[in-house]
Amino acid sequence: MKSMLKKGLLAAALMASTAPAAMAQECADADRVPITWSTIAGFYTDAMAELVSGFEAGHCVKVNVVNIDNSQLYNKQVIEMVGQTGAYDVVTLETSEKAEFAENGFILPMTEYFADKKAQLDDVAPTLAALTTQYKDDVWGLPYYTYTAGYIYRADLFDDPTEKEAFKKRFNYDLAVPTTWAQHRDIAEFFTRKAGETLKGEKLTKDFYGVGLMAGPFPEIQDEMSGVLWSQGADWLTDEGKVPVDAVEKAMNDYLELVKYAPPAALTVTYDGVMNQMKDGQIAQTYSFFLDQWPNAVQTETSVAGAKMGVAEAPEKKAYIGGFLLAVSASSAHPKEAMDFVAHIGGHDAQMEFAKAGGTSTLMSVLSDPAFAAPESRGKTGHFSTLLEIFDSMKGFRSNLFDTPFGAKIYNTMQIPLQSAAAGQISARQAAEQLAVEVEKICGGPCPIGK
Amino acid sequence: MSQSLSVPASQERGAASPTAMSDRWFSILLIVPAMLVILVFALLPLAYALDVSFRFADLTRGRIGDFVGLDNYRAVLHDRAFWSSVGVTLKFTLTAVTLEMVLGIAIAFLIHGATAGKGIIRSLMILPLATSAAVTGLFWRYLYDTQFGLINHFLGLVGLPEPNWLGDYTIALWSVILFDVWQWTPFVALIALAGLQALPKEPFEAAELDGASTFRVLRTLTFPMLKPVLFLVLVLRTIDSVRLYDAVAVLTRGGPGTVTETMTFYLYRTGLKLFRMDYASTMAIFFLYAMLVASLFALRPLLTQFSSRASEG
Repeated sequence: MKSMLKKGLLAAALMASTAPAAMAQECADADRVPITWSTIAGFYTDAMAELVSGFEAGHCVKVNVVNIDNSQLYNKQVIEMVGQTGAYDVVTLETSEKAEFAENGFILPMTEYFADKKAQLDDVAPTLAALTTQYKDDVWGLPYYTYTAGYIYRADLFDDPTEKEAFKKRFNYDLAVPTTWAQHRDIAEFFTRKAGETLKGEKLTKDFYGVGLMAGPFPEIQDEMSGVLWSQGADWLTDEGKVPVDAVEKAMNDYLELVKYAPPAALTVTYDGVMNQMKDGQIAQTYSFFLDQWPNAVQTETSVAGAKMGVAEAPEKKAYIGGFLLAVSASSAHPKEAMDFVAHIGGHDAQMEFAKAGGTSTLMSVLSDPAFAAPESRGKTGHFSTLLEIFDSMKGFRSNLFDTPFGAKIYNTMQIPLQSAAAGQISARQAAEQLAVEVEKICGGPCPIGK
Repeated sequence: MSQSLSVPASQERGAASPTAMSDRWFSILLIVPAMLVILVFALLPLAYALDVSFRFADLTRGRIGDFVGLDNYRAVLHDRAFWSSVGVTLKFTLTAVTLEMVLGIAIAFLIHGATAGKGIIRSLMILPLATSAAVTGLFWRYLYDTQFGLINHFLGLVGLPEPNWLGDYTIALWSVILFDVWQWTPFVALIALAGLQALPKEPFEAAELDGASTFRVLRTLTFPMLKPVLFLVLVLRTIDSVRLYDAVAVLTRGGPGTVTETMTFYLYRTGLKLFRMDYASTMAIFFLYAMLVASLFALRPLLTQFSSRASEG
């Protein structure tokens, strides 16, 4: 009897483990449940296609991937959600958009779905999970990609004896990875040089700049400034839902100090522009910068002779925590399949594959996998250990910007006064005041914070 | 005799088949399809926009809300960003259209006087027009690039300053204007050239025989005869410039800050980034009203001229 029970259990376990594969084999194309995923064009599109195939192999589902330009993704998704068209079953959200989509009933909570999959949920880096998946005691999906910010720099410049000596002489402390924003500013100033001056003992043929900034007309300017603002103990919104004008002014003034040491193109570029500057040998370091760009940054080692790249936590251990959240549309005709898809893409196996392809995973088990810390993986995953440090440093952190249902609108607006100030059109004070007025207009008064 | 042959008017009307259609109804029938298209794609959306402009309508809150009277109109009239965008639009339109008209007419005269290669030049001039501003705008963004752009590369080679074309707030709008002038001057030139080529030769031959100076010929013959064509081009370019969106979206996204934010771009940002359809609709109504009034004033002389020609014909 006991052996029969054992055999029965074994057979059941075997059936359970092979069920998805068997199901996929038995599933005719016509029987596949169609689901549509709206995602960002150009972000590891090939790797995503592989992950989607992996999901389809195990489920009787056909996933249509709709790639949309990042600048239009939010608008397009909102329109489909408001119209309840059901055009997208799975949507991709920026951290600041989660609360709006959750509060307005555009996406479905996945708390119940994950009730028996707690281990999977717990594997998401807790700091990232707190900011990207949680809102008002519910879980709203899984992040599949993180662009959390840190600090990327030209380690060869920092290690050069001539530069070290000159820095020490000028600032009276050692040239090293900055731990404060004041040190970061000193380094930016120190490395800003004109063509004809020397760098590492060699004559420069073109101007060299101390820092690369993303001060173009894109939301990235506020991502850069977030870490600085947060390190001052402030936030974009107070608990009362208002913009702290004095704190924003101070962060803006710090930013303006750095603009002097950035290439003029800083006023028109975003992250890809900064990476081009780095690879072109124009800049010494980034500000608070997306670490998912590490595989791109490390190419500087081949494009610039003698370059060696380094990655570290941002000064004062505060940086933008960003992630693309996969969530299920409330108007989806197939929410169960859509949730399965979210769980698959955000799950361990798919995230391992994603990391191997150069994607920046959101899971602790992947980020801490020893294979990715090996020297041969440095080009793709050399930033993983730094990400773990950042998540650890920012444990328990929450931003009111991500907890207000107006977060997305504020996020889409704040770049305007900030960039006006960066371009010199208005002062830091005016930018902070304009931001406060705009935010109040968007929220119709103090912004509600739904922690 | 003549009386017996003539048919009384009442009898003539009665003689027509009862199923035959009068000219009036037949002409109405002919324009019905076009009217239906205008009704569905222009008038109904306009009526809807008008309705929304009197309501609270934040799309992200899910629905078109309650009637709020003139609140949206008050809000828009007090919105500094709106008036700033109006200012940017006017500055852009005045400068770009003036430059395009002057350069376009000058180029048309040059081509008209050319003895060879007219066909090739005309074909080349169509190229900027044949490509969408979104595509050429991207191309120009790379040309303007401070670090890797060709324009600054060549300026650097000859030792000239290398401006930050799209990042410097004092010149960003001029960079957009330059792009627009590049794209639309050929349009003005081609239309003006067609007008020049269609002018009758006799008055010019007579003027030549009378020994009239070039300036006098231009002042008393060429420009007065070209006036209707040039005026039409001017109106078309003005309307198109006021609607400017694509070049701004691709080149500057309204930046730095809002220095290149035109009315249509601000409308887009309000409607499709902030999803405040109420404000966006109100702005659209203002925009339409301004365009209608301006077009009526601008087109009146032209329409009068066309009507008088038609009646003469």
